[in-house]
Amino acid sequence: MSDGMKRRDFLKVLGVTGAGAGLVGCSTDNVEKLMPYVTAPEDITPGVATWYASACGECPAGCGVWVKTQEGRAIKVEGNPNHPVSGGALCARGHSGLQALYNPDRLESPMRRNGDGHEAISWEEAEEMLASGLRDAGSGTAFLTGRTGPTLSVLMDELVGELGGRRVEYEALSEAPLREASRIAFGRDEIPAFDLESADLILSFGADFLETWLSPVEHNRGFARSTGVQADGSKARFVFLGARLSLTGMNADDWYPVRPGSEGVVALALAGALVDRGGDAGPYASLVQEYDLSAAAEAADVPVSSLETLVDLLDEAESPLILGPGVAGQHRNATAANLAALVLNAVSGAVGTTLHFDRAMTGAASSSYGDLATLISDMEGGAVSALVVRGTNPAFSLPSGSGFREAMENVGFSVALATQMDETAVLADLVLPEGHYLESWGDSNPRPGVWAVQQPVMQPVPHFDSRGTGDILLSLARNLGVETDAETFHDYLRNRWSDRHSEAGQPGGGFEAFWRQVLREGLAQFPADAVGEVELQSPDRALSFDLPEMDGEDDGLNLIVYPSSRLGDGRGANRPWLQELPDPVSKIAWHSWVEVHPDTAAEMGIRKGDIVRLETPHGEVQAPVWTYGGVRRDTVAIAMGSGHENYGRYADGKGVNAMRLLPAVEEAVSGALVHLVTRVQIEPTGRHRRLATIEGSDQTRDRAIVPAVQVDDLRAGDLGDHEPRPRTELRGGGGFIPVPSDAEPESFPHEGSRYGDYDPAENRRWAMAIDLDKCTGCSACITACQSENNVANVGEDQLLMGRDLHWIRMERYVETLDAEEPGPVDIRFLPMICQHCGNAPCEPVCPVYAAYHTPDGLNGQIYNRCVGTRYCANNCPYKVRVFNWFGFSDVPEPLNWQYNPDVTVRAEGVMEKCSFCVQRIRTVENRASTEGRDVRDGEVVPACQQSCPAEAIVFGDARDPESRLSQVSRDGRTYRVMDHLINTQPAVNYLRKVTFHPVTDIHV
Amino acid sequence: MATVSEKDRATQTHPDVRNYGEVNTDILQMLSRPGKWWWVLFGLSVAGIGVLAVSWGLQLIQGIGLSGLNSPVGWGAYITTFVFWVGIAHSGTLISAILFLFRAKWRQSIYRAAEAMTVFAVMTAGLFPLIHLGRAWHAYWLFPYPNQRLLWPNFRSPLVWDVFAVSTYFTVSSLFFLLGLIPDIAAARDQSKKGSLRNRFYTLLSFGWRGTDRQWHHFGKAYLLLAALATPLVLSVHSVVSWDFAMAIVPGWHATIFAPYFVAGAIFSGVAMVITILVPLRKIFGLEKYLTVRHFDAMAKLCLVTGLIVFYAYLTEFFMAWFSGEDPERHVFWNRVFGDYWWATWIMLTCNGLVPIMLWFKRVRHSIAALFTITLFINIGMWFERYVIIVTSLSREYIPFAWAVYRPSVIEMGIVFGTFGWFFFWFLLFIRLLPPVAIAEIKEVLPPPMRPKSKKTKEVAS
Repeated sequence: MSDGMKRRDFLKVLGVTGAGAGLVGCSTDNVEKLMPYVTAPEDITPGVATWYASACGECPAGCGVWVKTQEGRAIKVEGNPNHPVSGGALCARGHSGLQALYNPDRLESPMRRNGDGHEAISWEEAEEMLASGLRDAGSGTAFLTGRTGPTLSVLMDELVGELGGRRVEYEALSEAPLREASRIAFGRDEIPAFDLESADLILSFGADFLETWLSPVEHNRGFARSTGVQADGSKARFVFLGARLSLTGMNADDWYPVRPGSEGVVALALAGALVDRGGDAGPYASLVQEYDLSAAAEAADVPVSSLETLVDLLDEAESPLILGPGVAGQHRNATAANLAALVLNAVSGAVGTTLHFDRAMTGAASSSYGDLATLISDMEGGAVSALVVRGTNPAFSLPSGSGFREAMENVGFSVALATQMDETAVLADLVLPEGHYLESWGDSNPRPGVWAVQQPVMQPVPHFDSRGTGDILLSLARNLGVETDAETFHDYLRNRWSDRHSEAGQPGGGFEAFWRQVLREGLAQFPADAVGEVELQSPDRALSFDLPEMDGEDDGLNLIVYPSSRLGDGRGANRPWLQELPDPVSKIAWHSWVEVHPDTAAEMGIRKGDIVRLETPHGEVQAPVWTYGGVRRDTVAIAMGSGHENYGRYADGKGVNAMRLLPAVEEAVSGALVHLVTRVQIEPTGRHRRLATIEGSDQTRDRAIVPAVQVDDLRAGDLGDHEPRPRTELRGGGGFIPVPSDAEPESFPHEGSRYGDYDPAENRRWAMAIDLDKCTGCSACITACQSENNVANVGEDQLLMGRDLHWIRMERYVETLDAEEPGPVDIRFLPMICQHCGNAPCEPVCPVYAAYHTPDGLNGQIYNRCVGTRYCANNCPYKVRVFNWFGFSDVPEPLNWQYNPDVTVRAEGVMEKCSFCVQRIRTVENRASTEGRDVRDGEVVPACQQSCPAEAIVFGDARDPESRLSQVSRDGRTYRVMDHLINTQPAVNYLRKVTFHPVTDIHV
Repeated sequence: MATVSEKDRATQTHPDVRNYGEVNTDILQMLSRPGKWWWVLFGLSVAGIGVLAVSWGLQLIQGIGLSGLNSPVGWGAYITTFVFWVGIAHSGTLISAILFLFRAKWRQSIYRAAEAMTVFAVMTAGLFPLIHLGRAWHAYWLFPYPNQRLLWPNFRSPLVWDVFAVSTYFTVSSLFFLLGLIPDIAAARDQSKKGSLRNRFYTLLSFGWRGTDRQWHHFGKAYLLLAALATPLVLSVHSVVSWDFAMAIVPGWHATIFAPYFVAGAIFSGVAMVITILVPLRKIFGLEKYLTVRHFDAMAKLCLVTGLIVFYAYLTEFFMAWFSGEDPERHVFWNRVFGDYWWATWIMLTCNGLVPIMLWFKRVRHSIAALFTITLFINIGMWFERYVIIVTSLSREYIPFAWAVYRPSVIEMGIVFGTFGWFFFWFLLFIRLLPPVAIAEIKEVLPPPMRPKSKKTKEVAS
């Protein structure tokens, strides 16, 4: 080869020719200005992620987040570990913020009403129109906003004040009754903090605190910390009282299926019984004496003995905590019910120990529907001549009886500030595309003294000509001639923070340094006003604690319309991650369903999947039935948030809007919109549909999948009288004969066995431990995994065929569930992921080595090598391998911007599965190697562990006996799913759930 | 040829065939006279290929998702039909090779058609591993071809064994088929018009056969050797195919009985298919003289024996599932009979267990119509056997929460039925181009032409 062309030369020529051909082939019609990183921006290294601290804008809880950006694009949202609310975790909705940011249905430009539709206009025109419209309206201007950050609120109020108009806050999920009850009971017009972590007995009268109630991430963490069994075997008990088991209820130890609306009576009767035992009800002593247990038992439709048990539990508990009914339980006497729960808290000594006012939830939504109802009637009456709607979607989330749509049509000039069209914006005369919270400035104040900055983490997504809400308002102020102290909202925000900084006595030195620090960390803690002793006060208004009045005929079933843990009040509906996330309770995705007790359904001759017509005096909807043993026989439940008409391609036509069944009735005391207000008639339509569910069977059939242990047995060290079956290894006769093995589980693979390149003496074995006593099944991990690993969505049709691509399957098995009698409830969650078996059945069957064992004990999957025989999936006993039946990764621009560049976007026809976030492992290994050190324990954090609000997941090296993983796994509760039967030697160690009631299936 | 007494006739395999010349005329006339029914069937087959091409083309363009497969049922109608066709392929070699070695005299009339069926069935079966792949364009990665990246297939994977088993089987059975054809092709060559396309085709395939002693000697040796070589394949190929399942840990698949069970099933279905094909062939071409009731009787007996083995295997499977004491195993078998796919299981049990009981009766075995009906049932039953094994096992494995039901899609059924078109396309071409009944070998079992005792015309041997 000395003469002629060398291989390198050949490649050079080939490369140059190819590139030339490519250049010639390029069209020159669309020359856009492309600038390479000739001089790289200071904080961007291609391929290295930059993290920005910001604040989550999905719900009023106000979690602090870190956003990972790469090459200027936000690609992942994670909890900010320094933030007291999120504590480093994030819920599914928080993760899905990315899909709102990159949503292909976002508004591309300002729009003006033109006939029935809207036409695009320029920002100049739009701002001119806005200013003149509001100038003309003057004091007839009304701002209708959702929960708004503090500084933006200041700006809005300033503007509204100048105009002489008014501002009304409305959130569909509002805790107005709790706030009012708190004012009545303790004289504090705010929402207290519920410290689940310090409680040893938690009583929830229906509050879904793990899903949507107030601050789900924080509650999840506190709940898992208290109810997760401790090293000494102690464990908080959780009793759920309510007509329907929400996900929160599914995590209860005991379920009291009380009649809906009876919470107030039951709480007062319990308080009364505690007063009899020496409790102090202060000014409520005489009130609680009026309610005795037998009457309460009668009202709640439970045996009186069960309530006595509850009194004993409360009496014995050192730090009980009682939570009110929550949004789904807001009925005509909701404030009274909340008040009764607060009184019970006070009587049982929770106030000050588990119920705190010094960290009240200042960010929580507690607006009253009453204010909006007044606004609506003013709109109808013509008193409102200009309406600006922002951050709320009343045309969707209010019952149609509210008349909001008609009233809005009646307003002369209506403006919507929105990131994308929704049912309200579509009615507006002018629609302004506002920036997403990840691309605009803002702040939040979730609790006294805690202030977080919502920092834009990237330039506005170029596909959409949007502007930050604050900047739109500042520009409006300028056009109206209103004096403000800033040109941009960024400056405005800084000025407010500067004031706050000075007021607080300039902590951290000069403002610039302080501000930089705040931006870096995402939050600042200022000293908050001290809260003195909080005591019960005499009620200043009369309340009825009786069963609330219900609309509809007496023979109807009680209707519960509850907030969806995935879609919230409906604002998450246009995000495929949330739509496709199997509901933690029903495991159904994409469409609506009605929960009916199996006995009730059988009486009516309805089967699962039958489409029924739900009819109340206020409206009707049609939805398929999901029979569920977790609702009372006299009750049916349906989630809100579905059934959009004008909210984008992923939301429209999916499911039904359950709010259409409700009247627009406000609770007399707090003004909250009541949810539990009517009975419903159910009629089969004769049609049937397959449910888009991932659930096969909810029965474990006594297989060793999710064994549990009773807490008494655990304390006694009795984890079952079984002898573990001898572990065997194919070592005899040249690898054909099983011989007993004495190796410890941690030492897999066993000596003498062959695992490809894996050398147990040299290498790590990456492994995971999941504490099922902590896991609440909230499913945040699933969305976190989708975000991190570019897991595609398949859509409803494909889900119906059983083709979902999630790498985590949150299995939900029903062991004990009885809606008739109060008693133990035992529903077990199991996050099933690739078990990274030491002896993996998937590996030998792959004909092309696409499934193989890495030298550090992972189950590798090489997408490029996969030909798609699906043999590995057939042979996977855990069924964690998912297949790309089509090219699911082709998503509309710019939704593909969310993809993590460190992870392959999988093509059609290849198998995929959990990789233990191998890209994170390699990043850490590379970093350690450049720093010339070993990988530290806990340095590798997979996306699921990072996101888990319950802190149930630990990841690490099973080979290192000192690693936290090894320590956690040495617990007696540890088991591996079906390992005894199929000898797969999984790397995922599950720690059994711990129950208070006896369990039968402790064998593993 | 001498006329034989009635007593002698009864001992002969083809009592109605009078002389060698008649054999040549009768068989070779099949090559020249297509007839209406042939065209109808051929048209249907071409239409079937059209359906196959369209369905598969769509699937290649849009994705394997056009099938009804899902998680956890990753294999369905495609692999079912693959195993079905591999099974069909077995009787040909059994009849031509094993029965040859055992000197079973009834094989001569049927073995050629059975062999052709084998070759075409393997050709059909071989499509399915391609069809069912997620990325069919990378199928060659399963072969150990030399490449720069030094990547080899995984020899531990039963799918790779499959590649070797099926390709070996195809090679050997095609060779065996073509070798046995040589003398008959030569006869056809001699009868065809010189210089015609047919003549050139026959000339090529007859490899210069002139019927010399020396050629017969070599031919006999080669045939015997290939028969000996093909015999183990009859047992091994379907054993390997069965290991696709038995080597996996799927409850309902992971059983040591699978290899013999599948081999018996393959012969059962293969012989049934031979009968199904020969009945119309005999009717259309008037081959009653060559395919006598006695031949069918013998095949029916083979069917009966293998059918009983298969049914015994079913019972053993159920017993072992119960005996294992493990719920996953037990539940799979309970689910087969009473679960989502009860209908498929009962079709299987009825067609393969109950219907063949009729074959105990000689009257049934001697009724061509009855045999035809019964073997149709068996064909259907054996397709469902594979469907039941594959689908019911996968749909309910270890983790109940992941259970799911699979329903074949229209595209999938199009491909499955389309491959029948593909198979019959080749088979119909075969009966028009190559002698479908072995001319030379039938003559072996006919009484040899003796010098006439009286003055009769001489016969010409081919």
